[in-house]
Amino acid sequence: MRPSRKTRTSINVIIVGISILAWVLLLFNPGNIMTVEHCHVSDAGPSAASLQMLLDMNPVSSQLLGWGLMVVAMMLPKLTIPIKYIYASSLKRNRFPSSLLFTFGYMAVWMAIGVVMIAVISGLHLLMPGSYIPAVVTVIIAIIWQFSPVKQRCLNRGHDHWRLAAFGWPAHRDALFFGVMHGVWCVGSGWAIMLFPMLLPAGHNLAMILVTFIMLSEHLEHPRIPRWRIDFRAKLFRIVIAQTQIKLKRIQS
Amino acid sequence: MATFTRKNAWNNDGTFANTDLLWYARAVGEMQSRSLNDETSWWFFAAIHGQSLTKTRPQTFNWQEVPAPPNVPTTPLPTQAVMDKYWDQCQHASWFFPPWHRGSLYAIENILREIVKSLNGPADWALPYWNYFGGGNQDKMPPAFAQRTMPDKDGNEIPNPLFVTARFGPNRDGNVFVPIGRNLNQECQQRRDYTGLQPRFYGGGATPFNHMGGGLTGALEYNPHNGVHVFVGGQTPRGIGGLMSKSSTAALDPIFYLHHCNIDRMWAAWNSAGNANPSDANWLSGPTATGDRKFYMPKPDKTAWQFTPEMVNDLTRLDYTYDDLILIPEFASREAMRLRKFGLSIPESKSITAMASDETPELVGANRNAISVDATGARTTVKLDSGGWYTVTKSLLEATNIDAASSAPALPDEVYLELEGIKGNEDSIVCSVSVNQHYAGHLYLFGLSDASDTDGQHGGGGLTIRFDITDIVDELHLTNAADLNSLEVLIQPVNIIAEGNELTIDRVSVYRQGSNTNV
Repeated sequence: MRPSRKTRTSINVIIVGISILAWVLLLFNPGNIMTVEHCHVSDAGPSAASLQMLLDMNPVSSQLLGWGLMVVAMMLPKLTIPIKYIYASSLKRNRFPSSLLFTFGYMAVWMAIGVVMIAVISGLHLLMPGSYIPAVVTVIIAIIWQFSPVKQRCLNRGHDHWRLAAFGWPAHRDALFFGVMHGVWCVGSGWAIMLFPMLLPAGHNLAMILVTFIMLSEHLEHPRIPRWRIDFRAKLFRIVIAQTQIKLKRIQS
Repeated sequence: MATFTRKNAWNNDGTFANTDLLWYARAVGEMQSRSLNDETSWWFFAAIHGQSLTKTRPQTFNWQEVPAPPNVPTTPLPTQAVMDKYWDQCQHASWFFPPWHRGSLYAIENILREIVKSLNGPADWALPYWNYFGGGNQDKMPPAFAQRTMPDKDGNEIPNPLFVTARFGPNRDGNVFVPIGRNLNQECQQRRDYTGLQPRFYGGGATPFNHMGGGLTGALEYNPHNGVHVFVGGQTPRGIGGLMSKSSTAALDPIFYLHHCNIDRMWAAWNSAGNANPSDANWLSGPTATGDRKFYMPKPDKTAWQFTPEMVNDLTRLDYTYDDLILIPEFASREAMRLRKFGLSIPESKSITAMASDETPELVGANRNAISVDATGARTTVKLDSGGWYTVTKSLLEATNIDAASSAPALPDEVYLELEGIKGNEDSIVCSVSVNQHYAGHLYLFGLSDASDTDGQHGGGGLTIRFDITDIVDELHLTNAADLNSLEVLIQPVNIIAEGNELTIDRVSVYRQGSNTNV
């Protein structure tokens, strides 16, 4: 079954609203809560002292908060589709808690991988402070990954339909595991491209917006047979163009 | 006045005395002589509907294994770009099912007509339709399709291009007919909404480009379309489907286009009775509105015709018609029948129809684990949620108190049985489904193997099929048997499920939905 139009709209509004709020926090950084973009290092170069300085300036907890905020901003809109499925497939009283557990499972995977990502980012900032080299290398890796059959396989698995139990704790367990597995395949497809904005010495926000567009777009594409192919998966762009044309046509008529 | 009129294939007893069939056979023969990578070949058109040459998932019946006739070529393949543009395009479990198939019929008819004309046939030739609901012996396949040979223009006997080896019929014996009955009929013509939230819609649910899979199949598509496919194709005695049984081989069989002509005719008849197609721009513009593939068909000159549902939602735009667009006689509305069951009468001067409810269907019960359906069938218990089921029984109790004079009486809830995530590799399997020993419907699995392909368009989610069990629940209530904690669902194969071809069903569940009416 599918939720009613009203329910679908409500889910979209709530999720996209939370995402926009996260974007506002990321872009305007009120109270300097975002420390993840800081990449200072001591003049002495990489050393225990400079690492300590880096961590003092950018505590891991703050970096994780920033990372989490970034994941919420960039990836939450992608969850509207599975959450609508969970909503329609759950008992009325479980609709909200199961949706929340799914989101929690999904975020948990991104946060776990965030620890590794932050370590990599910190290490590279320490070794090459202010350098574009890590970002360029990451872009090259991301492009190769982007066109690979492994990436396509991960994207395909992101469309997996998860059997959800209806009653008791198995219902909650299934929602949580669904979120975890959805997160695993999402990380599998997007780890490289997600790393790129974090390694940029400048233009971080612009890169995040671009990466968000790419990741949302590729997850909207239908599964395909995994093979090497140059494919920009620009479905979101095509939707925007098509819907604009439809609206213009309606105005003209 | 349309230039072209599609006529009944059973004219002149469905033999080659019917010149529509004679010229169809000759033109099909010409298309079959063309190579696989020729956009106007029989094989290319079959692949536009669906194919198994480039799939990663092993299927039970690949193009390479099709027994002759027809002699199906597997090379030379077109370029990847051409395949991406045209192949595997057919729309199923979608509101695009009727318009996509109409465009497909129109395109192949143009090519066939050009061939007919080049062979000095009638310039106004049109595809015939097989109206298995036409009465008499029309439920049987027109005899021209069962002949191994046919006369050429000089009267010599030549192989009949309409004859297909892998067409087994419902009894697996080559006797091809459509077993009309409570499981296969034209009740879909009584539906009023083309699309919507209720699973009872006529044309299909709103989807993007949808080659196979999902659960938004319209009434026209499920019964009769899917049922006719699997019964005509049938199975071998070992449970392997015929060409028509499987979406990836169906359009190799020349009877395919006559079946679809009849489905197209039914849609046109439904429209001519005043039922409207969607006005939603996302339907009219086709899947490009949601960023998906365009609908393309080759023209006789091999250039591409890109079409949208808006271009085909009216026969006059395509300059053809049918010689019979009569809708089956209208019975009392389903809603009125339902009220009568509860002892309420509606004045004859009034008609009552359901209004589309915009309430999310509510899950009220589900079974515990995924089930496997083998040759012995499967039985599962759907546990009912006390709160959700109470809402259903309360609505049933209140039905007895409806004021029939009310302008808009509330009907009791509608109840649906959902078989979610049906997966397998043999589309020809047919099962009957019952709930608490009451017949709920037949399970037709046309498109199953494609829908189960993990790298397919739906990521291997399988098919989801819903049965309206409102009447069963009404019956349980009227016999004081609706006070339940669970429902027993029995799935029994009516043909062969061979070892290795077992079905799995992720979840069997029950939903309720409120119902509003208009008097």
